[in-house]
Amino acid sequence: MKKVIIGNHAVSYGVMLSRTQVIAAYPITPQTEVVEKLSELCSNNKRVKLLKVESEHSSMSACIGASMTGVRTFTATSSQGLAFMHEVLHWAAGARLPIVMVNVNRAMAAPWTLWADQNDSLSQRDTGWLQFYCETNQEILDTIIQAFKISEEILLPSMICLDGFFLSHTSEPVDIPLKKDVDAFLPRYKPKYRIDVNDPHAFGGVTGVNYYFEMRNQMQEAMDKAKNVILKTGKKFKKSFGREYGLVEEYHCDDAEIILITSGMIAGTSRVVVDGYRRKGKRVGMLKVRTFRPFPAEEVRRVLGKTKKVAVIDRNISFGHSGIFFQEVKAAMYNEDVLNRPPIFGYITGLGGRDVTPDIIQEILDYTTLNTKPKDDIIWIGLKR
Amino acid sequence: MNFKVPKEEYMFPGHTACPGCTAPQAMRYVLKVLGQKTIIAMPACCWSTIAGIFPYSSLKVPLFHTAFPAGASVASGIKAGMEVQGQSDVNVLAWAGDGGTFDIGFQALSSAAERNEDIIYVCYDNEAYMNTGIQRSSSTPWGAWTAVTPKESPESHPKKDIVYIMAAHRIPYAATASVAFPDDLIAKMKKAKKIKGTRFFHILVPCSTGWKFSPELSIKMARLAVETKIFPLYEVEKGVKYTINKIPKGISVKEYLKLQGRFKHLKEKDIKFIQKRVDKEWERLMDRANNRID
Amino acid sequence: MSKKLKLDRRKDIPPIAISLESTLSIKTGTWRYFSPLHKNKIPPCKHECPINQDVQGFIELITQDKFDKALKLIRRDNPFAAVTGRVCYHPCQTVCNREYFDGYVSIAALERAASDYGLYTEKKKATRNKKKKVAILGGGPSGLTCAYHLRMRGYQITVFEELSVLGGMLRVGIPDYRLPKNILDREISKIVDMGVEVKTNTKIGRDIDIQELENRYDAMFIATGAHLNRKLNILGESLKGVISGLKFLRDINLGRKVSLGKKVIVIGGGNTAFDAARLALRLGSRTTIIYRRTQEQMPAYIEEIEQGIEEEIEILYLTIPIKITENNEKGLTVECVKARLGDVDASGRRRPIPISGSNFFIKADTVISAIGEDADLSYLPKKLRCQKGVITTDENGVSSCFKIFAGGDVTDQPRTVAHAIGSGKRVAMAIHKALGGKTLKKPEEDLPVIEHEKINQDYFEEQKRIETPILTPTKRMRNTKEVKQGLKKDMAVKEAMRCFGCGICNQCENCLIFCPDLAVERDSDSFKVLYDYCKGCGICMLECPRGVITMEKEPIE
Repeated sequence: MKKVIIGNHAVSYGVMLSRTQVIAAYPITPQTEVVEKLSELCSNNKRVKLLKVESEHSSMSACIGASMTGVRTFTATSSQGLAFMHEVLHWAAGARLPIVMVNVNRAMAAPWTLWADQNDSLSQRDTGWLQFYCETNQEILDTIIQAFKISEEILLPSMICLDGFFLSHTSEPVDIPLKKDVDAFLPRYKPKYRIDVNDPHAFGGVTGVNYYFEMRNQMQEAMDKAKNVILKTGKKFKKSFGREYGLVEEYHCDDAEIILITSGMIAGTSRVVVDGYRRKGKRVGMLKVRTFRPFPAEEVRRVLGKTKKVAVIDRNISFGHSGIFFQEVKAAMYNEDVLNRPPIFGYITGLGGRDVTPDIIQEILDYTTLNTKPKDDIIWIGLKR
Repeated sequence: MNFKVPKEEYMFPGHTACPGCTAPQAMRYVLKVLGQKTIIAMPACCWSTIAGIFPYSSLKVPLFHTAFPAGASVASGIKAGMEVQGQSDVNVLAWAGDGGTFDIGFQALSSAAERNEDIIYVCYDNEAYMNTGIQRSSSTPWGAWTAVTPKESPESHPKKDIVYIMAAHRIPYAATASVAFPDDLIAKMKKAKKIKGTRFFHILVPCSTGWKFSPELSIKMARLAVETKIFPLYEVEKGVKYTINKIPKGISVKEYLKLQGRFKHLKEKDIKFIQKRVDKEWERLMDRANNRID
Repeated sequence: MSKKLKLDRRKDIPPIAISLESTLSIKTGTWRYFSPLHKNKIPPCKHECPINQDVQGFIELITQDKFDKALKLIRRDNPFAAVTGRVCYHPCQTVCNREYFDGYVSIAALERAASDYGLYTEKKKATRNKKKKVAILGGGPSGLTCAYHLRMRGYQITVFEELSVLGGMLRVGIPDYRLPKNILDREISKIVDMGVEVKTNTKIGRDIDIQELENRYDAMFIATGAHLNRKLNILGESLKGVISGLKFLRDINLGRKVSLGKKVIVIGGGNTAFDAARLALRLGSRTTIIYRRTQEQMPAYIEEIEQGIEEEIEILYLTIPIKITENNEKGLTVECVKARLGDVDASGRRRPIPISGSNFFIKADTVISAIGEDADLSYLPKKLRCQKGVITTDENGVSSCFKIFAGGDVTDQPRTVAHAIGSGKRVAMAIHKALGGKTLKKPEEDLPVIEHEKINQDYFEEQKRIETPILTPTKRMRNTKEVKQGLKKDMAVKEAMRCFGCGICNQCENCLIFCPDLAVERDSDSFKVLYDYCKGCGICMLECPRGVITMEKEPIE
């Protein structure tokens, strides 16, 4: 059933369709509509509990507790809230709990800000969570359903990111699948490890130097396995719903001389710019990175190996270094043969929600065209002079 | 005097608490009442190690270790998870030390209490951050030595009245208890077990390592704390009805303080000050029990 | 369960830290320096009792309202419960640990209660008769106790008694108001009815030869006591009207009439002196006791002194009689001097020194001399070693002669009823052993006595002692009614509950309840420590109300 809904509401529908059983959340702009819609959708529903906790640390902790009892759990947050729960993000991943969380990307204070920026989610890149970056409201709803399936298979939690206000508060037509179809795609959650009074165990006790290393190794193995699981799930999703998603999306990359690397909503804008260039006969393409964790290094190497130049657009920055997607792409390419290793330009733009317009992307492409290789690690685009 | 204590044990020996530690006692008596159908959420505290390091467990019931501030919030999540699965009869027990209750865990606890989450929250209180090496908490009593309040500048703030604070949330049940009076603790836990909503217990658990006394005195210390009125045994129903469970003998606080190395440096005037304050707090409690004040 | 879990291979390690085993694998017992040991101790009452009675045991039975069993337990050692319950000087009460809490337990009253309310249930006659024969010289408490214990074991016993009645000092020394004669008769008859041969009116030396007894019997127990009144060694002592305290008591107790006149002086400060004085009072005389030291130094039992004073007996302390003369009123005049206390003498007490020029005179119709009793050793064979006026023996009554034993007041021990009974019991065991009998070695002899510090007073509520009821002076002064009454049955049970039960485990389970390591378990009617886990914290030791647990230095077997 097609409905014109904002991104946040697409989240709510995705969560309810997935038969989430326990939701714990705390309000923060621009996430609030997610929970408001959920409270509407699950009022008088005995099979869902919505805990209106007092902080994000508690919302993630409550999800951890609930997930451990063997139920499907969800929370949503943004920026400061995500940072507040940082400690327990590590905990959720280390406890191998398939929690799904939506993070509405919003820039970090200080100073106070409300608008889109990827520093919040990328600051959590080491925690062991899968990270998905969505381009459209449809993708958001679809990714949520898929994320439960993926997480429950590999036993690592998933974070689904959407640009604050640009996606969260923008209405788009979304095809909301039928409940029975989602039920067929996403079976009941049956965990191997759960709290059970008939089979009592302690979970998470102090683990010494002789065991912790192996457990971490197993987490990475799960991340490695996740790539295939994501692809497999994507194919199955296409079969059930007609839409496919993978780790990346290649847009006009085959013969491109310059490939833009983008994520999130900027990917959508980039498509329009690429189309414009193609009409003028310029060979440019775009590689949208959908999953940032696990990082699709093989795909990046495969796609970029054939091109002449790469322009990475980061709506984030790791202070003291450079854009984060830029660093990860460069690292993936480093050991490649010199012939397959094009120069990579790192552009930082749009921090704190500054609009990334087609003009900005055009400026990026022009600069990349005009320069053989980057002079600096960061090329700032859109700053005031 | 024979204490009537249920026979079944829900713990194993072999746990690594300090010799003479009374924290295992508190858990032991509580579990004797709550039984096998209990899930424990435990934030960082001494019990995090007493529960056993991986791959061992000293408990016969399931236990989930949580981050330090998260005892009450994880417990709330566990309870929600059990309820949506139709298992509302399973007791969810949040088990935290004074640090995880009075300080870092307070926010989550206050929130859970405000929402009247159907959990039992037990704070076993050894009056400092013992697991990390005896640092003060807001439960450390006035005048005490700790590793961060040396005798030149001992603890200068009185102990937080946690039960009063929890009562102010108007939760259905709050109570103090002592490991030296197991029958009282057991009776109260039996009562609490039948109530729905947030139930809060504050159990004093003397620590021979941190309070600096010889371990065999541990139970006697807990008894003295009650008999000197320093830690009276009482319960609060619905946040307003106070009932004192035991009239203390009224032994002078000196008898309690002099046994502990952490109070060794106290002068006569300090002890008098403590006695005065203890007497005043006792009067206040009596007034509440007699409905003279709220 | 206790095999140590091995997680050496990568595949052994689970993806999360889920517990795989209990902490039973962790033997925290290796931590300790001291190990707790449950071992019953000897309570001080039993230790101090000259008869070594299981005081705690019979008191515990009284708390359970089992008076029959309590009496039976007493009679395992002491066949004279009704006697000792009345007249013993109860050292058990003096050392009772409850004195350090809210006052000693009324043990004497409880012993009497057991005899008041308990029924005698043992067989009157011993079932098996051994071939061995034992002669007992003297039918007093020592001799009769020995007869009782030996007769229980089947020996053939003959008791030779000089007087026409059995009882010794119990009969002829202690007056009715302290020990009613019917009570004494009851106790003695229970012993005699077991099949003891009694030959009264038989004085050794006069009526029968001791050598002949030695030949005829397999063993001989000399328990003839000390019935010779010690001489005053002052002028006038042999005047008419100056009578021996022992003889006075004996005459009254055997029912003979004695005429004392209106005024009586008693010289002496021991129980005999007070018994004589208080009997004189009851016969209608005004009585004065003259004693050369102070009240604190009087050997008489404090309750005798206090009761005597209540009965308005005058006592002149630090008064030494130096001469007795007849006066012209057909009475006697006793010349005395006042004394002051000097240095400590051989008895350990300060010597009274006469103050010259302090002479004064007291008139009396009768003067009773009661300054001590001596044993008659004249009839004994020369070979039997004696010293300091008594027969020399070891603590079991073994004398210098083979198969001759001695006990009671004729040996070197304190002259009390309890000591006499105790020695009678020990001699019986010694005779039994000498005649080839097997005795069980009492393991308790190696156990320590429990001090009051070991009692955890926090587990006991203060409760005022229930005292033995005593007749008021007016009610008792002119008659020989029993001065001390017995406790009512429910009062006895209540008072018995005050007994701490020092050093004896009563399975309160405090050790089990308070062990933080769950290392104390029940073991039938006792407890065992799981030494694999016990960390030696000592909580069980301190929380045991009765001090049953000691912390032994590692290692223990």
